[in-house]
Amino acid sequence: MDPIRQRVDAIRARSTGLENHLIDEYRAGSISRREFVARATVVGMSIPLAGFLASACGVDREDISKVDPKQTEPPQPGGTIRTGIGAPAGALDPVTANNEGALAVLGQSGEYLTWSDSQLKLRPRLAESWKPNSDGSVWTFKIRQGVKFHDGQSMSAEDVVATIDRLADPDGSSNALSVFAGVLSKGKSKAVDPSTVEFTLDAPNGNFPYLLSSDNYNAIILPKTYEGDWEKTFIGTGPWKLDDYEPEVSANYVKNPDYWDKTRQPVPDRHEVKFYEQEPALVLAMLGNEVDIVSHYSVSGGKALLTSEDVRTTEYSSSVHRQLHMRTDQEPFKDKRVRQAVALLVNRENLVNGLLDTKSDFGNDSPFAPAYRSTDKSVKQRRRDVEQARQLLADAGKDDGFQVQIDGWNGFEMPDYAQLVQDDVRPAGITIKLNITDAASYYGDATFGNSRWLDSNMGITEYGHRGVPNVLLGAPLKSDGTWNSAHFKNKRYDQLVAEYTAALDLGVQRRTARQIQELLLDETPIIFSYFYFWLAGARPEVSGYETTAMGHIDASQAGRVA
Amino acid sequence: MARFIAKRVLLGLITLWLLSVLIFLLAQVLPGDVGRRILGPFADQKAVDALNHELGTDRSLLAQYGDWIGGFVTGDMGESLAFRRPVDDVIGPALVNSAKLALLAFVIVVPLAIVGGVYAALKEGRPADRVISVGGISATAIPEFVWAVVLILVFALTLDLLPVTAQAPPESGFFTQLKYLLLPALCLVFVLFGYISRMARAGTIESLDSDYTRTAIIKGLPRRTVIRRHVLRNSLLPTIAVVATQIGYLIGGLVVIEVIFNYNGIGQALFDGLQQKDFPLLQSTVLIVGIVYLVATLLADILYSLLNPRLRLGAAE
Repeated sequence: MDPIRQRVDAIRARSTGLENHLIDEYRAGSISRREFVARATVVGMSIPLAGFLASACGVDREDISKVDPKQTEPPQPGGTIRTGIGAPAGALDPVTANNEGALAVLGQSGEYLTWSDSQLKLRPRLAESWKPNSDGSVWTFKIRQGVKFHDGQSMSAEDVVATIDRLADPDGSSNALSVFAGVLSKGKSKAVDPSTVEFTLDAPNGNFPYLLSSDNYNAIILPKTYEGDWEKTFIGTGPWKLDDYEPEVSANYVKNPDYWDKTRQPVPDRHEVKFYEQEPALVLAMLGNEVDIVSHYSVSGGKALLTSEDVRTTEYSSSVHRQLHMRTDQEPFKDKRVRQAVALLVNRENLVNGLLDTKSDFGNDSPFAPAYRSTDKSVKQRRRDVEQARQLLADAGKDDGFQVQIDGWNGFEMPDYAQLVQDDVRPAGITIKLNITDAASYYGDATFGNSRWLDSNMGITEYGHRGVPNVLLGAPLKSDGTWNSAHFKNKRYDQLVAEYTAALDLGVQRRTARQIQELLLDETPIIFSYFYFWLAGARPEVSGYETTAMGHIDASQAGRVA
Repeated sequence: MARFIAKRVLLGLITLWLLSVLIFLLAQVLPGDVGRRILGPFADQKAVDALNHELGTDRSLLAQYGDWIGGFVTGDMGESLAFRRPVDDVIGPALVNSAKLALLAFVIVVPLAIVGGVYAALKEGRPADRVISVGGISATAIPEFVWAVVLILVFALTLDLLPVTAQAPPESGFFTQLKYLLLPALCLVFVLFGYISRMARAGTIESLDSDYTRTAIIKGLPRRTVIRRHVLRNSLLPTIAVVATQIGYLIGGLVVIEVIFNYNGIGQALFDGLQQKDFPLLQSTVLIVGIVYLVATLLADILYSLLNPRLRLGAAE
């Protein structure tokens, strides 16, 4: 037997039940290395002994939680870069696209006015600059000149207006309509001159440029003559031009010789984007050297990539999360003390360290993810506190507990999340029944009265990344929000969100954010337990690629190192 | 014979029509509408309504079904709602892909399993029989996705001999395509070997025990001739029926294999049609798989009657 294993076994044989329980928790990933050592010393282990056990019992966890060094060598020009992405579902059309695969394809040949990078900073692309009026109700964008579409036509301010109007058209099938709702109406975008577009908003909005950035993935700038046949041309202004496209299989690109940005001419000669219907096939393709880059993978599905020596993972905080809503207008959650109690029972340490293998930030029951610049990180983090939860339930007259059902769908880590919550609330006498279906059954018609998502007493819903929290503060939580599954109605909250949305200054945004964070911690209509780290992987010899938590992959500057 | 075939074809057409009605009705039970499926749960309801109107899915069910079936009988399968392309364009390449995989699996498994089954029968009760019979049944009992994972781990990731996925790059040559299809085909070979070899073995044992074989041996015919002329011809009849019933499965029932090997086959098209509630795609795919099943069983019946003089004579009478 391995001598380290022998020593661990010998230590465990003479350890107390409490010590062994602690070791088991650490091995199961329930507590971090630091917490293990700290708690081990409390229960009487010496620091050297705890350190030895942490290393001997936690080898795998340490491997996963470490961050791969970034490949910083410059890429060599030429060659082909192969990227694996989730397969686009359905037709590729910038107006209707709504999935990660489709947006990754849109971003190859198409470009946005601005690019929201992995650190959530905006970089100019087809817009050279932008500025608001004094109250943020009118935004003026300077449009870059000398840019050509792939068919040779010049891009102008009129193309920008036509693109945004198309997306804001309430009579059209725009997937971005929900983003522009209450922000920008059709006909309120105006080409002042060939290089200037003015947007007059429905209400002041300090984060409006993000809504025209790569965050709003439908907003690639198209010719004003666009008629819905994008799949035939892949028209755009981007660094890559379509070479060949095989639906459901791949899209291959060559350099766009007329690309406007002389500092970002494509490094490789060719970019092959391969589609994978399911994550296991994508993971195997990366392990089997069929692709050089995988634009995104999950902790639950991609452990093999996290531990592979042939893959370097890049990770960064994002706002991808799951919302666990509680119906504030129905028993047993009418009383906010009951909602607070459930939130206090959820063991976030277990979720982050165990379920997500440390690859996430803690959530604090508001959409303000740590990744956002406006989030006030000094707001006290809610942690598991069973005693306080019991007290709150007793105060609310629910000291005997109650029975509820969590609705959800069988995707990502959500069924496991539901089970862990089910276990977490048991000590307070709360019994949770799980009703996990497929996505279509859960969402139904996605309207009130016709959807488990919006009608259930308690449910888990997945939310993708947003570069700013505006949409997440609105639709799921505002009194008139169309995704308000908690049926939360609070005038003070609505007022604060309006103030936050209008604020142009980061300091003001942060001050308002704090008030929203504290209000939501108090009301707790939704439990936000964690915000994912965005994971992307590449072969160790590949450098220069860029991914974003939205699902974009920019391989124009990628290549193999010498 | 012609009457027999005509009757079978007519029955087949009625079955297909009933299948189309059934699938159409079942598809309506699925929650959510097409516009909502395409745009997702977070899209604005106005956009969903506009898309449904654009796609014509806000019309009455009868009108939608009537349009589709009217087109289908004239060879027009309509336009896929989710892919916004003619259904032929979506199903065509998928059907070709599925046929390639099915053909390769067939070319390997049918001769291998028949030779294995007959050899096991000839060596009945001996170690060779035990190895083939037990090995075949064990291989069949293991689900195809388990075989897929094992084969990928061994041949693609550890030995690095074959690709991890089945989709060869566009315009690949014959041998490149063969290389890509080998692993998924082998999964199917493992799954089917047990069925086919067991039928071949049982049929051969029965024939070997029969009076006509004994007569042939007594007549002094060489053993090889007895087996070729008298035993095999009779023993393979049930095997043909088993092989034919597997054709439909091989063309339309491989969603799991297609997903693991990221292969764009007809199973995947069926799954996409269901996921997106894409009625023309779903309906057409189901009917095509149904046609494959019917044609395969019809061919098996014809072959069966050609090989079996009693049936042939019975039909003539």
